[in-house]
Amino acid sequence: MWLSSGFIFRKGTSRYHKLDPRVKLLISALMFVTTLIVRSVFQLAIVLVFMVAVAAVATVLKRVARTMALTATFSAFIFVINIVFTRNLETSALYASRFVAIVVSTSLFFITTSPDELEQVMKMFRLPRDVVFAFVTAVRFIPVMMLDALQIMDAQKSRGLELEKGNLLRRVRNMIPILIPLVVNAVVRSGELAEAMESRAYGAVARPTSLMEYRARAGDRAVAVFAIVTFAFAAYSFYFLLPTFMP
Amino acid sequence: MIEFREVTYVHENGVRALDGITLKIDTGETVAIVGENGAGKTTLIKHVTGLLKPTSGAVLVDGIDTRQTSTAALSRRVGIAFQNPDHQLFSESVKEEIAFALRNFGFPPSLVEQRVSWGLQLFGLEEYRESSPLVLSGGEKKRLTLACILAWDPEVVMLDEPTVGQDAIQKEKLAGTIRMLGSTGKTVVVVSHDIEFLWPLQSRVVVMKSGRIVADGPAPEVMTQKEMLESARVAEPQLVSFYQALVRRPRSPFVDALEARLWIEGDKAADSGRPAVT
Amino acid sequence: MEIENLSFRYPDAPKKAVDSFTLEMGESEIVVLAGPSGCGKSTLLRAINGLIPHMYTGDYSGDVRVAGSSVKASSMRDLAQTVGFLFQNPENQIFMFTVERDVAFGLENLGVPRPEMRRRVDEAIGLLGIDDLSQRAPHELSDGQKQRVALAGVLAMRPRLIILDEPTSLLDPKTAMELVDLVARLRKELGTTFVVVEHRLDLLVRVANRIVVMNAGVKVLDGTPRDVLFGEAADGYGVAVPAVTKVQRMLAKDRFVADDRLYSAAELASIVERRDE
Repeated sequence: MWLSSGFIFRKGTSRYHKLDPRVKLLISALMFVTTLIVRSVFQLAIVLVFMVAVAAVATVLKRVARTMALTATFSAFIFVINIVFTRNLETSALYASRFVAIVVSTSLFFITTSPDELEQVMKMFRLPRDVVFAFVTAVRFIPVMMLDALQIMDAQKSRGLELEKGNLLRRVRNMIPILIPLVVNAVVRSGELAEAMESRAYGAVARPTSLMEYRARAGDRAVAVFAIVTFAFAAYSFYFLLPTFMP
Repeated sequence: MIEFREVTYVHENGVRALDGITLKIDTGETVAIVGENGAGKTTLIKHVTGLLKPTSGAVLVDGIDTRQTSTAALSRRVGIAFQNPDHQLFSESVKEEIAFALRNFGFPPSLVEQRVSWGLQLFGLEEYRESSPLVLSGGEKKRLTLACILAWDPEVVMLDEPTVGQDAIQKEKLAGTIRMLGSTGKTVVVVSHDIEFLWPLQSRVVVMKSGRIVADGPAPEVMTQKEMLESARVAEPQLVSFYQALVRRPRSPFVDALEARLWIEGDKAADSGRPAVT
Repeated sequence: MEIENLSFRYPDAPKKAVDSFTLEMGESEIVVLAGPSGCGKSTLLRAINGLIPHMYTGDYSGDVRVAGSSVKASSMRDLAQTVGFLFQNPENQIFMFTVERDVAFGLENLGVPRPEMRRRVDEAIGLLGIDDLSQRAPHELSDGQKQRVALAGVLAMRPRLIILDEPTSLLDPKTAMELVDLVARLRKELGTTFVVVEHRLDLLVRVANRIVVMNAGVKVLDGTPRDVLFGEAADGYGVAVPAVTKVQRMLAKDRFVADDRLYSAAELASIVERRDE
């Protein structure tokens, strides 16, 4: 469920959504790197506040807040483990909150970038077309497979299968009547997809053309430059200028 | 006995799949549920075994509210044959497949053996006893899913779009099976948009549109209401069209004789059916 | 399109799926291919569009020619531009996240330049009346809509012959009729030939000009709908003769009605009425 709110794309109309996906990738990547550079909880808090501000601009604040709340449990777990082994309050807090920041920075990219844009980015990085196509198809069929899974569960429940009951071992065994049809269907599906692909000349030409055109706009470039400058400033400040609280 | 009391079901996205459904199906009845795709037919039958629970109103099976009991318990009495057999076949062999539900329902091993053999025989699948269910043809898979259900002998059998992808011979056999089930006292509910298949069965017909029931009665009564059928996007049986186009009133002896002949001549598979239009 | 004495056996199969099959088809025809399950229809369809023998190998003898070129000698790339195939399950032939892009899929694969691609995509979308769906994602569409999207994708390649494999099986009767009307319109406007595999003949009988019946890999009947459905032979092959046609058959036996063509319910009724006087 946290996976859904944190990483599934939903259409949006904010200026942030409309940015060239490479810029969005850049911003998230820079945020990610920043969280690794910071040396104290205080600095990380500043970064988090910044992320939240960006999320607000991108009108995805609610989802990001939800993601943060949902990662809190695992983050607390990290905190406890660290305390036990290092007995250092500072670093434990740092690692725990760093985890949340990492999740938020990657989440921000995925929830504002459509699968189309993801494909575009992959193509721009010159990934082999078969890889890009496999990725696109996989994402395209996620909702379909989820629906399949629900229908399979309905069918098996109607034959007396009780998914909620029993100890761990029994529950795992009860997944078999769900997983096998799911896998079989997926295999059959890929066979049908292959036929359809062949019938529509997949692979006929080494460099397929594209219906959509992707061009970065001037505004996007400006945002990218701004992001890099901010990052440079922040990195420098965190590393050298601001006092650290680490002994 | 199945009863829907003012049942409304609203999806997460706000769509009303069922809107104030009130319906009673008595034991031993054969009922056809028709309507266009999206009218709520499948949603309706899923409520009978508790796969879906009503947002408001209640569904009762033999007096028990479906919210008070489990889907497994309800399925013991109400078998649903879903449209796609590939959504349920998974066992190593056909006999294991039939045994699956029996074991889930707590049948003792000796009885399981018996019922498996019976199911295999009833549907002509004996030769596939040890084969993997995945190598069967489409029609055979559908027969297998029916065999699985009848093996545990539910009082009610519900079929969701059983005629999809079936050729004429398979459909005839299916019609025969439905009649056989009815004659053995089972309650049979068939959800289908194949009007030409349903017409000869001359069962009770419930017409759904946008989550509501817009008609409910014997086939000759319901399937002759042209305007209602039009608005529900349900096709009119061809024979009904023919007889209704005969404007002449009162009907002549010639047409009566024609009707009688159709009844006799078509009876090889009873697929001309008796229009019984007055 | 010509099929000449085609026989095909899948590897490891005991029997031939298609046996000495011969068939000829002209332009602008709608041919219905019927027969009981397992009779070899799917195999035959794939032999026409080239999936057999290019994707599926086996014992192949005889020849299939479309628009003058032999299928086994042509590449899938060329065949894709002459023969279109609409598969049974619309879900498993839509690849992209947006309708528009999926319609362009085949053209992208062929390396068609963007302006030409744009034109063809818009044309196909217009022909199928799905303009308002062009930006939607496939999982937001109904089965009937997906069907149209897939067909648009096929049409964009401008094939001379289009194969439809049980196109109405998932559709309700009204939506199915709309699809059939659409096919008839496309045939008229574009001159394309359609080969339709279908069990529900009552929907197609109005627009088809030919019915071919297959059984166990062999062609058993081939003629106009009237010829095939009037002959009692069709019943034996599990062909679903429409109810109205059965009435007409009965009446024709007693010479109450002509048997030159298939009549609709309304037509038959008015004939009975007049005779009754």
